[in-house]
Amino acid sequence: MMLKLEAVNKVFNKNTPDEHKALNNLSLNVSQGEFVTLIGGNGAGKSTMFNAISGSALCDNGSIELDGTDITYMPEYRRASFVGRIFQDPMRGTAPNLTVGENLIIAYMRSTGKNIMSMPSKKEKTLIRERLSALNLGLEDRINTKIGLLSGGQRQAVTLIMATLVKPKLLLLDEHTAALDPLSAKSVMELTNRIVSENNITTMMITHNITSALAYGSRTIMMDSGSIAVDIDGNERKGLSVQDILQKFSAVKNKVFDDDNALL
Amino acid sequence: MSLTSFIGAIELGLVYSLLAFGTYISFRILNVADLTVDGSFVLGAAVSAVFTFSGNPVLGLITAIVAGALAGIITAVLQTKMGIQPILSGILTMTGLYSVNLAVMGGKANIPLLNKTNIFTYAEQLFAGKTYKIAALLIIIAAVFALLNWFFRTQLGLSVRATGDNEAMCRASSIDTDFIKIIAFAISNAIVALSGALVAQMQQSADVNMGAGMVVISFASIIIGSAVIKNKNITLGLVSVIIGSLIYRFIIALILTTNFPPSYLKLISSLVVIVALSVPNIKNKMEVAGLRRGRI
Repeated sequence: MMLKLEAVNKVFNKNTPDEHKALNNLSLNVSQGEFVTLIGGNGAGKSTMFNAISGSALCDNGSIELDGTDITYMPEYRRASFVGRIFQDPMRGTAPNLTVGENLIIAYMRSTGKNIMSMPSKKEKTLIRERLSALNLGLEDRINTKIGLLSGGQRQAVTLIMATLVKPKLLLLDEHTAALDPLSAKSVMELTNRIVSENNITTMMITHNITSALAYGSRTIMMDSGSIAVDIDGNERKGLSVQDILQKFSAVKNKVFDDDNALL
Repeated sequence: MSLTSFIGAIELGLVYSLLAFGTYISFRILNVADLTVDGSFVLGAAVSAVFTFSGNPVLGLITAIVAGALAGIITAVLQTKMGIQPILSGILTMTGLYSVNLAVMGGKANIPLLNKTNIFTYAEQLFAGKTYKIAALLIIIAAVFALLNWFFRTQLGLSVRATGDNEAMCRASSIDTDFIKIIAFAISNAIVALSGALVAQMQQSADVNMGAGMVVISFASIIIGSAVIKNKNITLGLVSVIIGSLIYRFIIALILTTNFPPSYLKLISSLVVIVALSVPNIKNKMEVAGLRRGRI
């Protein structure tokens, strides 16, 4: 098992009238190489779960294990060397005043454990150039351009390379195409699919689009009120339509799935 | 302008460009205005003066660098590990340093160093003519410049630049941003203290109040420099700081040739910084206002 969440809880505004259980006894197992797509309405706990796994906001109790190591309360910067995360905002994953090449070098550094006073070697520069040209976006010619000058789609594509330059144990995609125009969103999504399947990276992806949640990945999970409502994979998932999965949700939760965006 | 005041302006421009190197790291690279500088500059001068007084000017420079680094570490620890606002952290260290500086100077507000051997005395024996101070300063600046230029290309230096640019991304790239800030503030204040140490030896005295307004003076140099060289990488950024510092000193020297009272120089420095920082915003607002009028 690559990722193992056991009875994870997270409560916001505890003991006040605004108390909100963002994660409610959440348990989840993800095997090596699985590509899980996650859907759920606002406040279902998707991002809170990602925060707990990546360490940017810790959970109250329960345990999170990654590849056999307990990471529940490990500091964010330490687990970042094996958990890659990409956010919706393309500005968030890159340093705008550093060049494309420098951003990638920083991402590469995280797992190499090299002497911090060393300079990037020829070999590393070549590797970065190769990865960029594999994108077919012509970015290998803009390696010395400040990344803030690239478009949102281009920045998100670079962020994707940054997160997977050294294969992470787990890749978390937090609606990483939602802020892009439809064309860029499609190309970044296809790029994601290619990189994840070529490198067999264990991946979890939050999306508001049920169609793409079913089109990509190998397993789909619907969350509601901080726990898992529907969890389908394998043959059961093949050929499943948006209507089918919404019916499953209604059958389990006895209510209608309440995310207008998801149906678009 | 006489030859003496011309050479004097170059000397001051060079020695204060080190100060501006230091604040360039905090102000431009880390995006924090570090007010420790007013204190660490004097700390460097005080340490340097005490050692020069007892006949060890070189050791004075080295000790000043270490002392400055310690001051920077304190400010950085206050803002990272103790969660105090960045500006306030600098103010707290600066205020505390006033007492420390007095203690270093043995309780005296001023240490005169007339007729004491300092590093410029050595330089005078090496280089002929009136420009021996400039030669000595150029060597030191070249060394600091080369070190910084190298440092900001290493993995650690790259992490410092990225931390100032996008801290959240750095933590997500397994960079310990607290540690990075501590390193950066240490380097920044070490260079500032070196600047103070050199000023004390050059002017042959250290005064506990000589640090007042140093932050603003260095910002003015950085801003003037960035107006001369735009959109730059680290190397050009450092070059622009030296140019800015020289231009600033020439402006001051020119003002001093008139009957203008020197007591207004600090006010002018402040105005330079205010104008330089506000002009882009005011321009922006005026353009928007123009668009709005055009619509009605």
